[in-house]
Amino acid sequence: MSFLTSALLSSSKATMQWIEERTGVVAFAKPLLFHHVPRNAKWWYVFGSATLMFFTIQLVTGVCLATVYAPSAAQAWESLNYIDKEVPMGWMLRALHGWSSNAMVVMMAIHMLQVFLHASYKYPRELNWITGVFLLLTTLALAFTGQVMRWDQDAYWGLGIGAAIADRIPLVGDQVRALLLGGPIIGGETLNRFFALHVFILPGAALGLVGLHMMLIIKNGISEMPKPGAIVVPSTYREGFEERMKTEGVPFVPEAVQRDMVFCGVCLIALVALAAFYGPFGPGGMPDPTLINTNPRPDYPFMWLFGAVSLLPPASETAIMLIAPGVGVLVLIAVPFLSNSGERAPSKRPAMVLVALVTVMAIAALTWEGMTSPWSPVMDGWSALPTPAKFTHGRTPLEMQGAVVFQFAQCRNCHSLDGLGGKRGPELDDVASRLSYDQLVRQVQQGGGNMPAYGKNLDSAQTAAVVAFLATLHPSNEPDAKIPGAQLPPPPGSANAH
Amino acid sequence: MKRAVMFCSMVLCASGCDRPSASPAVQHVALAGELSTQSAFDTNCRGCHSQGAEGAALPLVNANYWKVATDATIIQAISHGQGRSMPAYLASEGGPFTAEQITSLVHGMRTLWGDGQPGGGGGISPVLTAGSASAGALVFSTACASCHAGQGTAGSVVDPMYLRMISDQGLWSAVVYGRSELGMPAWNQAMPGRPTGLSAQEVCDVVSWISSQRVSNEKVTK
Repeated sequence: MSFLTSALLSSSKATMQWIEERTGVVAFAKPLLFHHVPRNAKWWYVFGSATLMFFTIQLVTGVCLATVYAPSAAQAWESLNYIDKEVPMGWMLRALHGWSSNAMVVMMAIHMLQVFLHASYKYPRELNWITGVFLLLTTLALAFTGQVMRWDQDAYWGLGIGAAIADRIPLVGDQVRALLLGGPIIGGETLNRFFALHVFILPGAALGLVGLHMMLIIKNGISEMPKPGAIVVPSTYREGFEERMKTEGVPFVPEAVQRDMVFCGVCLIALVALAAFYGPFGPGGMPDPTLINTNPRPDYPFMWLFGAVSLLPPASETAIMLIAPGVGVLVLIAVPFLSNSGERAPSKRPAMVLVALVTVMAIAALTWEGMTSPWSPVMDGWSALPTPAKFTHGRTPLEMQGAVVFQFAQCRNCHSLDGLGGKRGPELDDVASRLSYDQLVRQVQQGGGNMPAYGKNLDSAQTAAVVAFLATLHPSNEPDAKIPGAQLPPPPGSANAH
Repeated sequence: MKRAVMFCSMVLCASGCDRPSASPAVQHVALAGELSTQSAFDTNCRGCHSQGAEGAALPLVNANYWKVATDATIIQAISHGQGRSMPAYLASEGGPFTAEQITSLVHGMRTLWGDGQPGGGGGISPVLTAGSASAGALVFSTACASCHAGQGTAGSVVDPMYLRMISDQGLWSAVVYGRSELGMPAWNQAMPGRPTGLSAQEVCDVVSWISSQRVSNEKVTK
């Protein structure tokens, strides 16, 4: 028995040596596993590993999905439904891929924030930061192209917006759009183009960048926890760091990797829970441009951009949409060059802490705006939100008909009553104390102030009815709005008659 | 420990395996599949025909309505629209539902709010029949005028703009079903001056008289 064991051991050892001699794989892997990391790093440094874990999950689930997904404009949507409903646990696969994608972006953002706050990008880790920036861009590109893979209404309109932005580029806009879409409009080739990006080009780029990022980590080591007064001096830093790692550092395996594994485990449980509880993302409605009764949204990583772009003053759109992303990327790349030495402790870099704080708050606020998008009409407001009881009691037959017209003409999609309805236009609970009867007629018929004219959609009876209804909308203790000298007698029978 | 892991994974499997997509059903999905009556009502009808005192159009939570109206007339109204302010809901006319879904929606609503009867009862024909305007004038003055005459508290029903908005059948529905939550009785309930309500013929007479008050010749026919 012991003979057998030792024979096996020695033969496996010989095999290892044979391989090692020809590949150097052990010599390569050793520093990956046992390089020394700062003893005090603790839980601060787990976010990068978790990002890598989510990326690995994306690769595995992505390959599995690619075995069933049909990357053709005619079948993509059907094939997603097939995966969701027919393929055993297919829905779970899609849910994992979708949630892991969001989790990867979030974890990457946290990782980046931690690196920024601890100024880990300072000498000699400038290129760690820059490869990280490119990884962020690649990940966002993967997220966007992944949204296109769903080939639903969100994908369709998201592409439309992307193409419209590309179209605004001076001189070459047409060509860039054609390159993106594979033609002048979104068509059959568009999906194939994005499929190639999503499953070949971008993952390949991401793998390469991850390799580069890891190589730099091994080369430069993991930065220590910042301490006020521990100043980075490029000329002496490396020597001091390597000395300290030798004496005070601990090997990555098993000291630091334990924490990474615990954190990754928690993340994994959370991911499976989210996927099981909330299920896959979409596919939403069919990508049919004739279905306009839709409220397309980008995926979470782009919600803040959706919010920002929607809130831009129209005149500044082209300039900001084309210049801001480039400037943003340049600023991110420039971070380690703006200051690559000196203090790393957040307490000594209050301005940078403020920058991080403002950035996080701005993205959070814009994400919230994007999710609630008060500038978008509530598309089913007219058919789902009833006229509140307080606005139907004591109304004349004409005013009641007006309340019906108010719903029928979909006024409710942009205007709220009693807090329910669109927020695009003003709330109309007390409109009659702001606008006189004549002003209401004019506003309904001619529109203005971002409201379309309804003169051609409503005939005189419908206009009379809806205005009769609107004219009742004011608090009982406030009088009707009056324009001196401009008041015509309202039609007989309306409650507005004086 | 092993058992705990086994148990947990079994629970996970049992709770997750046949969970469908959690995304909200959108229009075309509704088109393809079965509808829940309440949710279809909530997104498509409730804006006008809401429950209780809300809503501007005829509330559908009205036992009287389900007694009188037949499935055929309701399906017709939902499919092709009705009057000036009710759009068509049939897919082939630009709406969100298939014919089967409309039928199932009507059956579902009848189950929810009706009294189990198929409609066509309630002591009155579900469609407007011929009436006499001169007889109707008398009915109006005794049964309706105390609220609806001139600038009466409930507002005029002979307002020319109102009469352009509403069809004769719409007038008939208003009289027959009433809006009890707003203080207007149904046709067979007590009215000021008419403790026993109206007869079926009187309903048609009074509709005929109101209709005769239209000022132009563009009578609403639909």
